[in-house]
Amino acid sequence: MILNGVITGLIMGGILSLPVLGVAVIYGITGIPNFAIGVIGVFGGFLTWYFLSYNLGMAILIGIGSCFAIGYILQPILLTPISERGGDSTLFFIITVSLGFIFEGLTRAIFPRPSISLALPRMGRLSIAGVTAEGFKFFALLFALGTLVIIRMLEEHTEAGKSWLATSQNLKLAKLIGINTNHVFSIASGMGCALGCVGAIFWGSLYNLNLMSGWDLGFLGFIIAVVGGIGNIWGGMISALIIGMVMSFSGYLLGGMWQSVILYAIVILVLIIAPRGILGSERSL
Amino acid sequence: MAEPILRVSGLTVRYGMISALKGIGFYAYDNEIVGIVGPNGAGKTTLLESIAGSIDAKEGHINFLNKRIDRLPILKRRKLGIMLVPQEGNVFPMMSVKKNLEVSAILNSDREKKKLISYVYELFPILLERRKQIANTLSGGEQKMLAIGIGLASNAKIMLIDEPSIGLAPKLVTKLFETLKKIREDTNKTIVLSEQNIKVLNIADRLFGLEAGEIRFCEKTENISKEVVKDLYLGG
Repeated sequence: MILNGVITGLIMGGILSLPVLGVAVIYGITGIPNFAIGVIGVFGGFLTWYFLSYNLGMAILIGIGSCFAIGYILQPILLTPISERGGDSTLFFIITVSLGFIFEGLTRAIFPRPSISLALPRMGRLSIAGVTAEGFKFFALLFALGTLVIIRMLEEHTEAGKSWLATSQNLKLAKLIGINTNHVFSIASGMGCALGCVGAIFWGSLYNLNLMSGWDLGFLGFIIAVVGGIGNIWGGMISALIIGMVMSFSGYLLGGMWQSVILYAIVILVLIIAPRGILGSERSL
Repeated sequence: MAEPILRVSGLTVRYGMISALKGIGFYAYDNEIVGIVGPNGAGKTTLLESIAGSIDAKEGHINFLNKRIDRLPILKRRKLGIMLVPQEGNVFPMMSVKKNLEVSAILNSDREKKKLISYVYELFPILLERRKQIANTLSGGEQKMLAIGIGLASNAKIMLIDEPSIGLAPKLVTKLFETLKKIREDTNKTIVLSEQNIKVLNIADRLFGLEAGEIRFCEKTENISKEVVKDLYLGG
């Protein structure tokens, strides 16, 4: 049972780590706390579901691509201008939550059903150390870890990645040396929303997606990012895996109704002990 | 002498009610080292930042290579050939020395990049030694060298350096100024520095004296006595 709990926790944590990465990438690079990426991601999840009967790959591309485009466009027309006028965290909280409600409303208005489940291929069953689970679940976990590694590799080895790092570490100097920081911001925002969508797609194929799922993913993603040290993507990943484990074990041991009580008590406790998160943050909210 | 490559006229910058620059004029010729001297709060940083575009000037003209640039964003000015090395926050703190230099050469071709970076290492061998070290673990002097290196790696025609000597031991200041001289000879760059250190007299071709947002004098360095500069600082 313990092993089962660990694996369930890892998988849950792995899926949650995708919106967490989204939050971390956006916050780390643009300095903007974006609470809407979960809802935007779920909007993309609904789009994927809508096109699923045509073609699996195309449906996923449409979902993720639309979310990238939404994030990419929102940054220059809305978020960057507010940031340049000195917008603070409270203002961004209100603005991005409002954006979230807009996308929740759009999802409600456009799609015929308020709750969906994505039927993706299950990839058989896999048995690891005596625990059997669907291959798809392991794929979800591997995908999340792989995404983190890819983002780190891009940052280390590509020109674009280096300019993201430079922008996140010293915005003024990044502008002075000739980095198009507005473009970097748009890419970060698009990537964050796309990661929210990937999280939503996995979530929707393992559990289900409804109009509230976006808030769950977005807020939980944000809280996990803060616990890990906001902007710090390794911290976010570790924190997501720990929180996944906490959710899994509190569910097993005490029953589902205690899950959120235990989870958020631990979140508060961690933040009292380490206000900048487990691995610390370069920026503070 | 030919036309200046950089010409500022009637430049006014206000912070709220306070005028940091009161309609000043400034110019720099090709391949020249120009010093801007003056006490704290004279407006030296404001002038450099306005030229680079990190501060928006409300009034006045800035011309660079016969092109009006005062309404252009930072990136366009950088592409035209202007680079500012700020006084503080002039490195990428969590990146290695090598990456700092690589990313700063972003607008150059791969071949040029290599050349630029090896030139920086040639000028500052200690940076080559420390190329894998994270920038914020360098000493103050090394960080200053890296900041100048970042300016060089950008390969701009004109380098604006804000208070390069601040916080450096006297011996290092002399060395740094010698290096700036060598950079001018090697690369034909124009270098504009704001300075509080009197040693700037030894390297600058011309000096502008700035006080309370106004130009007090503009002279060739050989015509300036130390006393004039000292008076400026003492408000005499």
